[in-house]
Amino acid sequence: MTKGISVLVVDDEPPIRRLLRTSLGAQDFDVLEAPDAASALARLPLDKPDVVLLDLTLPDQDGTEIIRRVRSAGDKTPIIVLSSRGDEKGKVEALDLGADDYVTKPFGMSELVARIRTALRHRVQVEGGEPIFQAGDITVDLTRRRVVRGGKEVKLSPKEYDILRLFVLHAGKVLTHRMIMQDVWGAAGDVQYLRIYVRQLRQKLERDPDRPSLILTETGVGYRLLDRN
Amino acid sequence: MHDLVRLSGAISVHVIAGDLVGQESSAGTAPAQPGDQFPLAPFLVAACGVGMALAIGKLVEPLLGVETIDLIFLSAVLGVAIAYGLRPSIFASVLASLAYNFFFLPPIYTFTIASPTNVAAFVFFLVISVVGSNLAALVRSQMLTARSRARTTEALYSYARKIAGIATLDDLLWASLHQIAAMLKVDVVLLLPADGRLAMRAAWPPEDTLDDADMGAAKWSFENNKPAGRGADTLTGAKRLFLPIGTARGSIGVIGLTRPGGTPLLTPDERRLFYALADQTAIAIERIVLARDTDRARISAETERLRSVLLASLSHDLKTPLASITGAATALRQYDELYDPRQRRDLIGMIEAEAERLGRFVANLLDMAKLSSGSIELQREPTDVGEVVATALRRCSDVLQDRKVEVEIPADLPMLSLDPVLFEQILFNLLDNAARYSPPYSTVTIGAGAGPDGVAVRVVDEGPGIPNEELERVFERFHRLPRADRTSGTGLGLAIAKRFVEALGGSIIAGNRTDRSGTVMTITFPAALIMPYQRHPEALE
Repeated sequence: MTKGISVLVVDDEPPIRRLLRTSLGAQDFDVLEAPDAASALARLPLDKPDVVLLDLTLPDQDGTEIIRRVRSAGDKTPIIVLSSRGDEKGKVEALDLGADDYVTKPFGMSELVARIRTALRHRVQVEGGEPIFQAGDITVDLTRRRVVRGGKEVKLSPKEYDILRLFVLHAGKVLTHRMIMQDVWGAAGDVQYLRIYVRQLRQKLERDPDRPSLILTETGVGYRLLDRN
Repeated sequence: MHDLVRLSGAISVHVIAGDLVGQESSAGTAPAQPGDQFPLAPFLVAACGVGMALAIGKLVEPLLGVETIDLIFLSAVLGVAIAYGLRPSIFASVLASLAYNFFFLPPIYTFTIASPTNVAAFVFFLVISVVGSNLAALVRSQMLTARSRARTTEALYSYARKIAGIATLDDLLWASLHQIAAMLKVDVVLLLPADGRLAMRAAWPPEDTLDDADMGAAKWSFENNKPAGRGADTLTGAKRLFLPIGTARGSIGVIGLTRPGGTPLLTPDERRLFYALADQTAIAIERIVLARDTDRARISAETERLRSVLLASLSHDLKTPLASITGAATALRQYDELYDPRQRRDLIGMIEAEAERLGRFVANLLDMAKLSSGSIELQREPTDVGEVVATALRRCSDVLQDRKVEVEIPADLPMLSLDPVLFEQILFNLLDNAARYSPPYSTVTIGAGAGPDGVAVRVVDEGPGIPNEELERVFERFHRLPRADRTSGTGLGLAIAKRFVEALGGSIIAGNRTDRSGTVMTITFPAALIMPYQRHPEALE
């Protein structure tokens, strides 16, 4: 099903490009490569890749500059940032500029492929979208505003539901605190409130709220609803 | 004084001064100050003394005869000598001999003497009285010198005590120059060698430049360990007299002196005083410089030790995983077809695990480097301890897979103002440490609680614990408990944890369990970091 899907790898490190070329190529992705920002920006309009893997530290320009340019041109191509641990600020900035997701180097290949799939699915979903989310014994029906756990309806407050709905709409994708607060509260968000709501959602939905496996924390960045698909 | 010397005729007159008279061609030594007042009172008192002796003599003459009268006059002369010194006593001698002759030696009331015996008596009287005055005056002058030396010694002693308590070079120099300037009434500059060149280090009154002539004299004086400059034998064109100061170990600097108004410098007494002060100063300077060098040597030895431990650690912690990875990869490449799927999975799993270990070590080194360079930027935000514990546990799931993990965090624990990324790294390092130092299938507990002092977070294991004497040292860089498996930790995890905790404003201590063997790591964040109480969120709906 990945046949014909093209991935543009923007990274100045030849070993990383080689690794991605080999391993993604083995899964039938078409792998395109750019070693710097200039050639990436030149290739994008010509090759029209289905997804971009972008390293933030490039020799000629900051990777975030590419995100800014692509998004301001109205290009919605999914961008997945390849970043390093400790650069949470850079991740948040990239996501808020319009990157779709990130993986932290060193990353596992299964994690990367899952991120690519999620990003591609969401691009498709912009038009239609699945109204029903299911993970384990949890079912969320967005059209009927119903959350069921193990056959029993779970009672959520309106704000809890709003947050869960946002998570479901972006299942598998990371959401920054700002994105969530913007959507749920408008401008008046407060990280502390957000954390309290997430804590309550976990109490209602997680098997072990102390060690959540559904709503995951991306420390210093935001939250991610684990996607079992 | 010249008149007196002339008056005293054949009698030798000594001028008593310090020990240094006549030595060293009296460089910089001033002759007696010309402006001295010639005090009249002692001479009047001397005259009165002789007058009283005359009166007493007249009274006792009928009883004792003329032979004892000279002794009365002699007493008066010696009394004057002891009280007022040489000049008044010579004056008294002359006066007394004249009075003795005039009033007592026949023919009386004339200055002529009839009997040759009396001529002899008169001459002996004169000689004895002058010699007596001389001796008495010498005693007096020695007494005065002794008294003044006692005062100087006292001043020197209190100076020595004062500078013994000074720890920094700048304070010492300031105190020394101030003392020299005050005791000798001179302007002082002090030069010490720095980076192989003599440079001005301090001055009283404050001064920061020397002209070329003075600088040249100072250099010459330092290099040759001899006086130079004004009043010395060499480079007399300089404004100041430069004197080298030093200890038994050699000369350590130069002090330059000048007196306001351009009057001559340093009497022998002053010069002796100067050297006494300079010696004290030199010894104190040397003491401070030595102490500083010792400190430097200790720091550099510590740096050296860390560097060698780091090298040992680097070569072990980088080389071992690299060797495993390279070995496994080449094995797979060359003998792929010989392995069954299980063996192949083993080798691949080894590459993965070793690469992960390498990654962890590099991350630790990076954290350490960030700490050392002070480039940690805190991103404080309201942080839910339970949430960060969960992410740390997720990151640790590999090392903790054979351990039972218990989380004990109350649901109403307040949030803290922390950098969650740093906090997660702290917890990761503590959990990692707990897993490595406790046996498989034991329990690792991570708990938290709020108290009046703030919020405490504990990581507790069921390992052997830490010997009491090691409890503090476990947070030192590259410190590993002796029994630890060499392949386990990097010796950096706890050191980083401690410094991260401190960067966040908290503290961490290591302890042992009291109920059984095991380590308790306790982080405490002060109450000031607790976020203000939040209303129940439903109130916001």
